[in-house]
Amino acid sequence: MKNLQKTYEVTQKVERLFEVTVTQTDFWEAVLYISTQTEFNTLSQIACADWIEEEHFLLTYILTTDARDKNLMLKLTLGREYESMPSVMTLFPQAEVMERDLHEMYGIGFEGNETLYDFVLEQWHDLPPLRREFDTLAFVHEHFAFKGGREDNKDVKVEQKRRREEAKKQKALEAAKQEAKKQETEKQETEKPKEPNTHATDAEETQDKKPDTKEAEDGQ
Amino acid sequence: MQKGFVAYNNEQKSLEAETEGIKNSQTLIQKAMNWFSARSMFVVAYGTGCGAIEMPPVFTSRYDIERLGVVGVATPRQADIMIVSGYCSLKTLRRVIRTYEQMSEPKYVIALGSCTINGGMYWDSYNTIKKLEEYIGVDMYVAGCMPRPEALIEGFVKLQESIRNNTIQPGYVKYREDYAYYQANQEKLLGKETQPVYEEDYAGMNLS
Amino acid sequence: MDSKLIKIFHGPQHPGITGNMSVELDLLGETIKYARTHVGYLHRGFEKLVERRTVIQAFTIVCRICVPEPDPNEENFARAVEGLAGIEISERAKYIRVMVQEMSRLAAQMLWMGGQSGSIGMGTVGQWSLFDRDLMLDLFEELTGGRVYHMYTYPGGVRRDLPEGFLLRLSELLDYLEKKLPKYDSIFFDNATFKKRAIGTGVVPKEEALKNGYVGQTLRGCGIRRDLRKDNPYLVYDKLDFDIPVFDGGDVYSRALVRRGEMRESIKILRQVIAQMPAEGAIMQKLPKHRKFTLPKEDIYVATESARGEFGYYMAGDGTEHIRRMQVKGPSLIHGFTLLEKMLIDEELSNVAMIMNSLGICPPEIER
Repeated sequence: MKNLQKTYEVTQKVERLFEVTVTQTDFWEAVLYISTQTEFNTLSQIACADWIEEEHFLLTYILTTDARDKNLMLKLTLGREYESMPSVMTLFPQAEVMERDLHEMYGIGFEGNETLYDFVLEQWHDLPPLRREFDTLAFVHEHFAFKGGREDNKDVKVEQKRRREEAKKQKALEAAKQEAKKQETEKQETEKPKEPNTHATDAEETQDKKPDTKEAEDGQ
Repeated sequence: MQKGFVAYNNEQKSLEAETEGIKNSQTLIQKAMNWFSARSMFVVAYGTGCGAIEMPPVFTSRYDIERLGVVGVATPRQADIMIVSGYCSLKTLRRVIRTYEQMSEPKYVIALGSCTINGGMYWDSYNTIKKLEEYIGVDMYVAGCMPRPEALIEGFVKLQESIRNNTIQPGYVKYREDYAYYQANQEKLLGKETQPVYEEDYAGMNLS
Repeated sequence: MDSKLIKIFHGPQHPGITGNMSVELDLLGETIKYARTHVGYLHRGFEKLVERRTVIQAFTIVCRICVPEPDPNEENFARAVEGLAGIEISERAKYIRVMVQEMSRLAAQMLWMGGQSGSIGMGTVGQWSLFDRDLMLDLFEELTGGRVYHMYTYPGGVRRDLPEGFLLRLSELLDYLEKKLPKYDSIFFDNATFKKRAIGTGVVPKEEALKNGYVGQTLRGCGIRRDLRKDNPYLVYDKLDFDIPVFDGGDVYSRALVRRGEMRESIKILRQVIAQMPAEGAIMQKLPKHRKFTLPKEDIYVATESARGEFGYYMAGDGTEHIRRMQVKGPSLIHGFTLLEKMLIDEELSNVAMIMNSLGICPPEIER
């Protein structure tokens, strides 16, 4: 750790996780130095993130110690135009498969790695799939057909709005109907004095109401 | 498996009523053949997707599907059933088609999981197929992600019922009769080489 | 003598392969002269799918990365999001998460025992161990609602509280398993057939183990005491008392004994968790702006000790609701290529299934 801090600017990200940033040209020197002179002597992952707005890949070599208690992120940026990197296979044999993976997913070349052929994709002729400009949804619609029944799978917010408005309309209609009925009944009540016949009108009213409320529920 | 084990719902009944004609037209030998093939189902050992994790429980002592006459078998040439257990990536689909074509008739396919029906959770993935029935004949779908072992067993029981009563047109008959349709779909997706090609020469694949 | 090599493919359609993958073998008689691993049969492009989803939507698919034990994935995902967003979770949630991790570890070891015994033709052990695994899955189902995929360890805690009397039922199951484990010794670990096949087979050279980045039982099976739960403790593992079993044969048998010891340790940890778990406390820390939760433009690496070794996640946010990049490194990536291709040379063909099971190679996490 002391060796590392002497030569490189080390920032601590969280507990037991450190970060060193280098440029593409002095990467090989840095990885050689770190893997031989400091305690971070094992490679545990090569991560790559595509920052298409800034037009570069951010490669992160995650190195770890023999005691497996600390991790170091060795970062560098790499151009997006199918550039290549020196392979670290000679230092870490496990890098072979990771580089193979990155080559397939991003199109990054690794000089010195002989096994950069198909890894998980077979007879793939499109863009490397993890690059940001590869549109997986367009690819899906071009190559696959969906079963019927997905047509109602619209944008949720638009659909919600439409249904809410429909429900509002229904409610307004219902309210208007009820209003009309109330007026009618009031008229009847004013015309007729109270009679035992009112029970029947009540029942009629509820029968009329029921289908309306059902429709409103469907609308929601 | 006996009557009463599966409660038929109305839908199933209406389906059967439609195919009443087929059912009655089968000869005695056909009836016997169907009865036998419903009673002994050999499942090819190919766990194509994550549904394969529910197969060991189904085949061992907790759920013990052997009581229904379902046994695992190593090679496709001896098998009657293939369980396509979940999503099929393009690379797997080539192997699935090859395995399916190696199986001898009568053969049936059970598709396990929502992803074989309509893409399921991976509906926007570039590497998994969305509808299995476009590429091989499928006899039974078991929905779910992942389907419980009971669901898989019910799928088997329903398949056995329909084989015994001859109520559905088996997928392999469709595959044989409409081979042009299936082949066109396969070639559209996988190119001319719908079977896996194992080659040493990977030259030209290097992008850098 | 004119000798000819025969090329065969061990998988993907093969009963002795650990999942949907394939090993290309060149044979001289029964001896393997050249081996190459082929994967990609299970590639779903998770890393692409995650980029298209919001954080909470992505949470539902990460558990599908590794089928036999989804919980280390959820744990990693949750911890990476918490690390990026700076969320501290409650003590009770931490204990529940440790409980879920250890339950999942026990279930995974049971499944491994079935596979390992099946690979050398011992069917009975699988019948037993898968039954016992199912009892654990029943508890999972009660806790989370799912048998295999749980979607329970949520960024900020866990998704719901323990059901009433859950810990009691868990400790009953632990009692049962504790009684059952000696029976497994007599049927499997002390079995003369297994010993004869496993001792001296599939030896991992000790000197290259650390340098080549091997993890989990592969390290512990050749006498190197490494376990992230001790070395780089997360959750509340530093408050729990447990040992790391180590055997130094480096062969299949040593790795089996390591796993046997780990099952006992998991039971020990679960008992402590049951005793120490705080009865009160929030189970979930609410995410800020829950429906439009954004990650800052930073990156992080987190790792969890799964039942087969270190599971590492690299995660980068970009200041929007989506995750810019989530890269998964499972334990099988190195074991399945660097180690296996080297190790199979000069082995017998009949040992391939046993060695692969012993390394715990699981293809879905290699290719995601």
